[in-house]
Amino acid sequence: MTTSTFVAGKGWLYRFDPRAKILLMLLLCVWFFLPVHLVGLYCAVALIVFTGGLNTGFSHVWKIFRSILPMLLFMVLFMPFNVRTGRPLFSVGSVTIVTEEGLMQAARLAGRFIGISYVCTLLFATTIMNEVMLALRWYRLPYKAGLVVTLAFTYIPFIADSFSQIAESHRLREADREQGRKFLQRLKDLVPTLTSALVVALRSIPNLAMSLEMRGFGLQNRRSQYHNLGSYRHPFTHFLLSVIIPVVLWLLCKA
Amino acid sequence: MQQNRNALKVAVVAVLTAVVVVFTMVVRIPTAKGYLNLCDVAICFIAFTFGPWSAFIAAGLGTALADLISGYAQWAPISFVVHGVEGLLIALIVRRQGDKEASLIRKLFAGLVCIATVSLGYFALSSLFISTVSVAAAEIPGNIAQSGVGFVLGLGVASAVKRAYPPVRSLAW
Amino acid sequence: MGPSPNGSTSFPVKFRPIMQHALRLSHLHFTYRSWKEEVCDSLFVDLNLDLQEGGKTLLLAPFNKGKTTLAKILCGVCPKYFPGTLQGTIELFERDLSTMEPWDLLGVCSYVSQNPQEQFIATSVEEELAFPLESLGLEREEMARRITRALEHWGLEDLRTSSQQELSGGERKRVLLAVQEVIQSRLWILDEAFDDLDQRWRNQLKATIQASDKTILVLASRYLEEFTGLFDQVVLLDQKAIQNPSLDELLPRFSHLCGDDLPNPLEGQVLEMSKKQKLSCMDLEAERKRMSTLLGRSFSLHVPDFHMESGELVTLVGPNGSGKSSFSRLLCGLDDPIGGVIKLDGQPLAGKELSKKVGYLFQNPDLQIFLPTVEEELSWSLKRRKDLKSEEMRARVAECADLFGLTLSDTPSTMSYPQRKALQAAVYFLLERPFYILDELDSSLTYYSALAIIARLRKRGAGLLLITHDRQFAARVAQRSYAIEDGRMASL
Repeated sequence: MTTSTFVAGKGWLYRFDPRAKILLMLLLCVWFFLPVHLVGLYCAVALIVFTGGLNTGFSHVWKIFRSILPMLLFMVLFMPFNVRTGRPLFSVGSVTIVTEEGLMQAARLAGRFIGISYVCTLLFATTIMNEVMLALRWYRLPYKAGLVVTLAFTYIPFIADSFSQIAESHRLREADREQGRKFLQRLKDLVPTLTSALVVALRSIPNLAMSLEMRGFGLQNRRSQYHNLGSYRHPFTHFLLSVIIPVVLWLLCKA
Repeated sequence: MQQNRNALKVAVVAVLTAVVVVFTMVVRIPTAKGYLNLCDVAICFIAFTFGPWSAFIAAGLGTALADLISGYAQWAPISFVVHGVEGLLIALIVRRQGDKEASLIRKLFAGLVCIATVSLGYFALSSLFISTVSVAAAEIPGNIAQSGVGFVLGLGVASAVKRAYPPVRSLAW
Repeated sequence: MGPSPNGSTSFPVKFRPIMQHALRLSHLHFTYRSWKEEVCDSLFVDLNLDLQEGGKTLLLAPFNKGKTTLAKILCGVCPKYFPGTLQGTIELFERDLSTMEPWDLLGVCSYVSQNPQEQFIATSVEEELAFPLESLGLEREEMARRITRALEHWGLEDLRTSSQQELSGGERKRVLLAVQEVIQSRLWILDEAFDDLDQRWRNQLKATIQASDKTILVLASRYLEEFTGLFDQVVLLDQKAIQNPSLDELLPRFSHLCGDDLPNPLEGQVLEMSKKQKLSCMDLEAERKRMSTLLGRSFSLHVPDFHMESGELVTLVGPNGSGKSSFSRLLCGLDDPIGGVIKLDGQPLAGKELSKKVGYLFQNPDLQIFLPTVEEELSWSLKRRKDLKSEEMRARVAECADLFGLTLSDTPSTMSYPQRKALQAAVYFLLERPFYILDELDSSLTYYSALAIIARLRKRGAGLLLITHDRQFAARVAQRSYAIEDGRMASL
């Protein structure tokens, strides 16, 4: 199981300071909720998608679209039927099916949904998790919180592997079972696998705590940092850009 | 000597977070929202076996990370709040008084709180930030089913683990 | 020390201080906490040990007698994380251990675990090496220097950014050795460090130990040829204390402790065979994507001919990564081959049908343990069978527990490793499969325990396929042998 959200590529997004990128992401997400007119909204979305394609590659952009497509379709199909006000566009007899107002709202929500999805995904696709954590620590995230996240990422593959091995092991053990079990029985049969998986995970906790302390977690002196964000040369410019871009978009597109 | 338990606390929360992530991503039934999964089983297990703070952080952080890794980054903050609160509330309700196991009534109440938190929480926050009231409402039945089943399984798994691995008592904080 | 500022040369004072005691254990008693009503047997009784600074010591003990516990006590993490009662005095470099926390020991004492999995805390090799240095508060240049040197020393430069999942067992061991090197503590404790390493790296480790001026304690459960001439002191952990016999006495006595001189349970074993079956496959082909992406190409497995009969003991030997596990998975029905078919008595079988006939015992016994007592664990498989009455079931369970030396009321998750391995074998014994595959049974078990388990599984005439990378063990045991290298199997 892969836990990596990073997609290798070349482009200005990769050279953008992560701290500024986080700010840009937040401001853009806020922007999507502001009252902007529909055409402007979709222009911004197109711009974001295009930038994403130039940076991470269009196949990745398509993959993102495919993963949000089910929800998008659901929203688009479901929503217009619920808005009853406005000019009816399509009706059968005396029953209004779709109104213009409904269509507008659906389009707006769809645009916002796509936009925010891409903005968030692109942040994590162009920044390695280590640097995201370093940027968050710069924003005063406590050390222990960052450590918990890093450790969780270390343990996810281990627990996932154990889980699949345990599932196989139980499958082998239960090979004598007949087919066609009821749903309730299948749920009950999950319990052994889940229990074993949890016991294996719990057993690793004392070892992890032990290793942390043996490697010096708990010493009173201040920890130094091996990695830092020093390779990003122009943080101030990047911060400026992060603020300017959303403001300009707002000024251009406000309804 | 007053024992500094910081490393143990960090280790517990980190591993439990990883457990929630794995349970969320391992069994997936695709639906409109994303997927139905076993995260509630893990969260209920943690809430029954560990304390309120571990449950809050592991549940919230775990589901948020799972959303992030799967590419549903928008739901990460919502999952953090909804599932974090779910873990916190259940753990508070079934907290053991001394050595006594929580009574059946408390467990039932905890189950109701679990189902209510997940379905109403997602409904409220989704309708505010992701889509509209009607679309969010359509997800409620699925969420009720998932959290209900998750609660019952979590209960079963929690008692099984406590019997199979007694040292878990010394890890809880 | 050179010339003093005012011109006159000072006397070059370069005397060596009186050799310090690096470690002194006096009257150590330790008992693990019991999670049941009965109290556990104490692990150490009146244990004493003295290590001089700069000395190299080898501590031999058969598996599961407390070596790892001793190492953890020395690092200050036991009984903190592994509850138990500890009595006696421990002095590390003249300081009392009970006044120090584990993190205070960072520059004093470091430990390389037998099981690398439990010591990894970072997402990449470089981060793993950097973490303790960050704790020490070193400057970035110093950290980078130490890390690069350690990576070069252990051949890990290409793996600098690899995560733990992508590393093989030997590479993980080397990472832990690199971490120890980077910390530069005064006392090094190496638990079974030579295991898992290829010959080249064993030589490297031996050279490192020889050239080092640190105090080194190596814990081992098998006397390897690399050990000759390496150590100043060799001690034995026996009868819950340290024994110091003379060198000629030591090895035979250790051998005796491991049960090497006990009669081979396989010799003269009479099998109760009801039906003779034959498992065979020809021209088996399979594809397996390598877990590590370092080598890129996917891995193909080709087995021209393999067969095994009831009551036979066949071994499959090969280095790590050669395809042993892939083959086992095909043979027990977990994976399906691309070409060729597996036959039982001439009838082709696959998937679940095959799993009913061939049992696969994973190397890690904890994968199946989920019930609170041994009795429940053993009864679990039998409960599903409708044709057994409950008294008969109980009788079978009791007989099986007796055979494997298990107590019915024990809690599996708190039993020792050899007992859990025996439990795993017992569970499969009750499933009555005609064939069993044993994956790396001999790692972490004495030869005698492994042979005992094999003998018991064979009792009802099952055919066994033993997978190992220890040729010595394979030679002792096998009636027939197959070797596998890089996906190609051939019979020996």
